[in-house]
Formats: sequence, C-alpha cells, structure tokens
Amino acid sequence: MTRVIALYNIKGGVGKTSASVNLAWLAAAGGARVLLWDLDPQGAATYLLRVKPKVRGGARKLVRGKSDPAALLKGTDHERLDLLPGDFSYRNMDLELRDTKRPAKGLERVLDRLTEEEDYDYVFLDCPPAISLASESIFRAADVLLVPLIPTPLSLRTFEQLRAFMATDVAKAPAILAFFSMADGHRPLHAEVIAEMSAAHRGVLGAVIPAATDVERMAVQRRALAQFAPRGRAGRAYEALWDELRARLE
Amino acid sequence: MAVETRALHLLLPDGLAASSVADTLATEIPIVSHKAHTVQRVFWDTFDGRLHGGGLALVEAAGRLALTDLRTGAERAGAMHRRGAPRLFAADLPAGPLRDELAGVIEMRALAPIARVRSRQLPLNVLDEVGKIVVRMRVEEPAAIVDDTRVPLPPRLHLDGVRGYDREFDELRALLDATLGLREAPRAVQDDAVECEGGIVGGCSSKLRVELGAADRADAAAAAILRRLLEIIEVNLPGTLAGTDSEFLHDLRVAVRRTRALQRELRGVFAPQPLRVFRAHFKELQRITGPTRDLDVQLLEFDELAAGLPGGAAGDVAPLRRLLEDRLVVERRSMERALRSDTTRAVLDDWSTLIEELERSASASGPDASRPVAELAAERISTVYRQMVKAGSQIGEDSPAEALHDLRKQGKELRYLLEFFATLFPDCVVKPMVSSLKGLQDVLGTFQDREVQADLLRSLGDEIARLEGGPAALMAMGVLAERLGAQQAQARERFAERFGAFAAKSQRKLVAQTFG
Repeated sequence: MTRVIALYNIKGGVGKTSASVNLAWLAAAGGARVLLWDLDPQGAATYLLRVKPKVRGGARKLVRGKSDPAALLKGTDHERLDLLPGDFSYRNMDLELRDTKRPAKGLERVLDRLTEEEDYDYVFLDCPPAISLASESIFRAADVLLVPLIPTPLSLRTFEQLRAFMATDVAKAPAILAFFSMADGHRPLHAEVIAEMSAAHRGVLGAVIPAATDVERMAVQRRALAQFAPRGRAGRAYEALWDELRARLE
Repeated sequence: MAVETRALHLLLPDGLAASSVADTLATEIPIVSHKAHTVQRVFWDTFDGRLHGGGLALVEAAGRLALTDLRTGAERAGAMHRRGAPRLFAADLPAGPLRDELAGVIEMRALAPIARVRSRQLPLNVLDEVGKIVVRMRVEEPAAIVDDTRVPLPPRLHLDGVRGYDREFDELRALLDATLGLREAPRAVQDDAVECEGGIVGGCSSKLRVELGAADRADAAAAAILRRLLEIIEVNLPGTLAGTDSEFLHDLRVAVRRTRALQRELRGVFAPQPLRVFRAHFKELQRITGPTRDLDVQLLEFDELAAGLPGGAAGDVAPLRRLLEDRLVVERRSMERALRSDTTRAVLDDWSTLIEELERSASASGPDASRPVAELAAERISTVYRQMVKAGSQIGEDSPAEALHDLRKQGKELRYLLEFFATLFPDCVVKPMVSSLKGLQDVLGTFQDREVQADLLRSLGDEIARLEGGPAALMAMGVLAERLGAQQAQARERFAERFGAFAAKSQRKLVAQTFG
C-alpha cells in the first residue's frame, strides 16, 4: 500500500524541501520504492536532485489528465527514488484546479494514475507554502501531513491555526504529524518551545532537526545529506526522524 | 503500463579489463567510477523454472531476496531473508509484495537455489553537465561457484537506463558501438551459471512435447512418447523421494498414468507378454503413489476449504489438518520405501530396455507396430470419442455416480491421446476438441473429487472424535461434508450442458471427418 506524506506548512523557509529530499532518500536507501513530487513552483527539491525543473505540458495538462504522469518522471541518483519535477507553471495550480470538475480531487487523481502503474511504497509531496485550493487538494491526497516547525511561539500559533482549520474546514483530513526543524540548541526559547509542544501534542515527533551548516550545504552539493554527510548532526537527526515516521506509518 | 527503462547487457571480450573500459569511455564522456566491490548472489527458482519462464529471477544477496526482471535486472519486489534454508515456499516469506508476486507465479512449488555467482563489479556512472547520473553502467566479472570452486564466466558490461534519460542512454549505446563494438549478451549471468553447474537453463519441464511424423511407424512413435514419459518419471523421482514439494509426485504420477494410457491404447504395437507384465508393474507404481498424492491434495486444498466455514469454525478443523498431516507422514514413508526398492528400479530399467528395442524396431512386436502412427492414432481417438458420446448420452439424473466416474476415466484416456498425437492433426480440430473435453472433465473431476473428499471426512470421524478438540472439529467437518455434497450436486447439474458441447453434432461431424 502506498503511503502519501505531504511536507506542508503555511509558512515558507521552515525546512520542507530539505526534509522532503532527505526523508525520500532515506526511505529509498532503506529498500522502499519512493516518489517525490516537487509541487513547489520554485522547484527547489528538483534542483537539489540535479534535475531540470520542467514538466512537459505544465500544471494544466497534468491536473486535467492530458499528460501521462508516469512519462514525466525522472530517475534520481538513487535507483529506487523517482522525482516528478517541479515546474514554474505550478504557480498557477489553483487556477488550473479550479477549471477541473472536482478541484479538491485534482492531485489525488494524478497520484492514483501514478500509483496504479508504479509500485511505490511512499510518495512524498514537497508542498508550496500557502493555504489555497491546491493545499486542499494536497490534504485530500495525503495520508499524513508532516509539518516542519521552527521552535518559536509564532510557528506554534501557525500550527494551531492549521490544526483548527483541518478540524473544521477539511472534509477528509489526513493525520497531522509535526517535527521541529532548524532548531538552535543555543537558544533557550527553542528548547522551551520544544519541551512544551512535545508534552502537549502526541503528534509531535521526538526527532529534532538542528539548524546546521550541512543542511545549507545541500544546495551547494545538490545532494541529500545521506550522500555527503550521513554521520553529521543533521544527517543523524533526519535518520532518527525517518525511523520515527516510518514506525508511526506502520 | 509502467514506463520501462532501457537496459543493455554486453559481453566484454576476454582480456579487456574493467579499467580499460573506464579509460576508453572517460576520454569521450563524463563518467565517474566508484570503488570495485564483490557481490555474492544465489539465484533461486522452482524445479520447473516457473520464474525463468515468467521472465523473472529471484536473487539473494546481502541477506535480501529480490525478484527482478530476468532481462533488465530491474527489481520488482524485495524482502529481507535469513540464509540457510535449502528450499522456500511463498508462504515462508514475510507478508508483502514479494510474497504476493511470487505466490502468483510459483503457486505450490518450492524454490531452491539453482546457481551461485560471485562477481567483482565496477560501477561506472555516466553524468550530465550538472553531475547527475543519467546512465548507470557496471562492469561485471562473474564466476560460478561450483562445489566451492570458482569457474569464471564471460565478463559483461551492464547498462541500466535512468528513467527520463533515454536520449543519454541511446547516445552511450552509439558511443559503445563506435568505440568498443561489443556484442549483446545472449542470456543472463544466472543462465551461464546454471549451465556451469550442469543444470538445465529455464528449469526442468514435465511437458510431453514429442514431435511425430504422420508416416512414422507406430512402434517408433510409441517409443518416442514413452521415452519422454520415462524421462519425466526419472527426473521427478529424486524430488518425490526428498519430498521437496508436492508437484514432483504429481508430475511423476501423470507420467505413469500417461504411460499406462499409451500401453492400453496402442497395445497392438507391443508383443503381448512383456506388455502384460509392464502394465501390471505400472499399475502398481500408480497404486503405491496414490494415497500420498490424495493426502497432498487434501492438504493443498485444506485452507481454501476451511476458509469457507462460518466464523470461528475455520479454527475448529485444526485437529483434522493434524490428522491428515500425520497420515501423510505414514503414507509417504511407505511410498518412499516402495519407490526406493530394487523392484521399482528394475521395472524402470527394464522398461527403458524395452523402449530401446521399440526404438530400433528390434523387439518382438504386435500387429500394429509397422502401421503409420497417424492412422492408428486417428482410429483410437475416434473410437474413444464415440465410446464417450455413447456412454455420456446414457447418463441421466438417476444414473449412479459410477457412470460419471467411468466417463471421466474415458475422458482422461481421450485427453492423453490428443496430447500424444496433437502434432499429427490440424490445430483447428484438436484445440476446440480439447477445450470442450476440458470443460466436461472439469465438471466430472469436481463431481468425483468432492465425493472422495466427503468420503474421507466421513471415514475420519471416529478417529477425530477421540482427539482433543474433536467434538468441535466433528461439527465443522459435518458442515464441510455438507458443502462438498452441495458442490458435487452443482457439478452434476452442469454435466448436461458440458456434455452437450462435447457431443454436439458439429463436434461429432468434425471428429468423424478428421479421425474417421
């Protein structure tokens, strides 16, 4: 059974792309067949995996079922990890979805076609930072919403807003899990927030991704941490996060 | 349809080192070579090569089993695996895609190691302008491990395409053609290794497959068929004795039954006296293997049968399963003793000698020995078909079960005749005839099998009652017997329709025109 995990946060710059690439890579390295769909028009995950951010036919043909999504996939440097690349046309995803019959099912339809043909164990969605029609379509398609949180009070407020929105406005809401990202061990406030949130919410995972140079270097290396710094602090933290997430998914 | 990635496997000429391949290509394209490493693989398949026949390979390496495409090597499913088991059934594997996919192909057959290969591999990845892998290449220097000895196999260069980078794959292929001019490997490494071990590439088939000519002498044709049937018996004997899986005994028994059918149907080809002796011997072979096969079938169908029970009753029949398993142990021991005996060995050896004499037309023969086989075959097919039509037409709602059982036996005889002599007659006649016969035999088979199963349940009642959990098991068995009875009745209801198709006027006319 394919499990769809959406890396999502209303805010940008919280570590969604780094987490998508690293978790997808670790899942593939563990023997699973994995797809990463870079839904962000900036195509950062696509860039990190050294693939051109281009999808023939763009968002329009994809969500209208006019493109065969399997033909758009790109193999990555890991033989069990495929990528559905990002494309600048994804900036219009809301408009394109609105023009389809059931907009909220748009992305689910694409994934259904893909998973019918391809035997993926996990699909990771690297989502753009927004709350929009495209987000609703993501909520519908995902089994789990995995939310990276910077351990600050404002981040927490955003997380609470998201939970409230999912509880009241989303008909078929996925499970919500969160983890702390870009945590700075020298900041007492970060430690306080982590402790408080972890105690208050069962859905907050224990692994904490540190604010580390290795993560920033991913953009220079254009590789997953497991490829160039697997034993660094961040590399080990992502490994712990994947172990924990996988256990929760099972 | 899943998009297939390209793959190519090329043979490297002797003496062309892996490093030379890398050096030659590196002057033309950006490649990165990784550290060479050694991989040990064990290849698994069923005795009859079901995976190979399905274009698949099961590879064990580094504590993991992977089901791969035989041609491309692309993995379809995998699971961790603990080493050491001499055989594996699909049910022995952890639940998941590997078990599901294997079960669909190998069914009840056991997997066993068919070859061991130790390879030195040098990965050479082709990169694009941003350093991304666009084609995976690998130089492999394999050796088969035969009795702990390394036997070098032809080295290869493997190219595995990366999805979405077909153009780069094609460019590399063109470059290889221009620079190294390599030949495509005609088969997979595992096939080389199997041959090296003295095995049969693609597994050992129990199919008949004998090509006959219409004008061949009947004794020579009979000898060709009987020789093949004896091969099937011999080749399945070790697996039957070892109890590797239930299908060795099944295939052995089918070959024995076919041998007996040919002895009966072409009796005029043989000298009467030795034939009489061998018919008795083969009847005995059939008899001594019967109880074990019956119990194998009961146990193979047990889960499906028990699954039909309501609620928790499926668990109540556990004592019945244990009893059947205990009986199987006893019957198997007795069968093994008989099959290992000097008598059985002598029967098979003497039978081989008689076949040899038939092959040379040197034995004292019967009156049909020199007749053209097509003539004799047509005569027998026509006769058995007409006998079946006559017997079947007399079966009504009140006919005893024996009448249906007898018709089934005749049906088997006709089926074997059609299999033996299929190549002598037009496909357009044989195929529909086999199809309508199969439809009829399915119904007759269900009718008889359900009766045998219900009889067995009834016969075990007293014994089951004495066991722990016996009363609950007895009640569940009562439900089972009832269901078997209902299924038998359904089969009988379908008989008239199936027989109608088999004995239709158009079918009778076709048989008369073709076989006389």
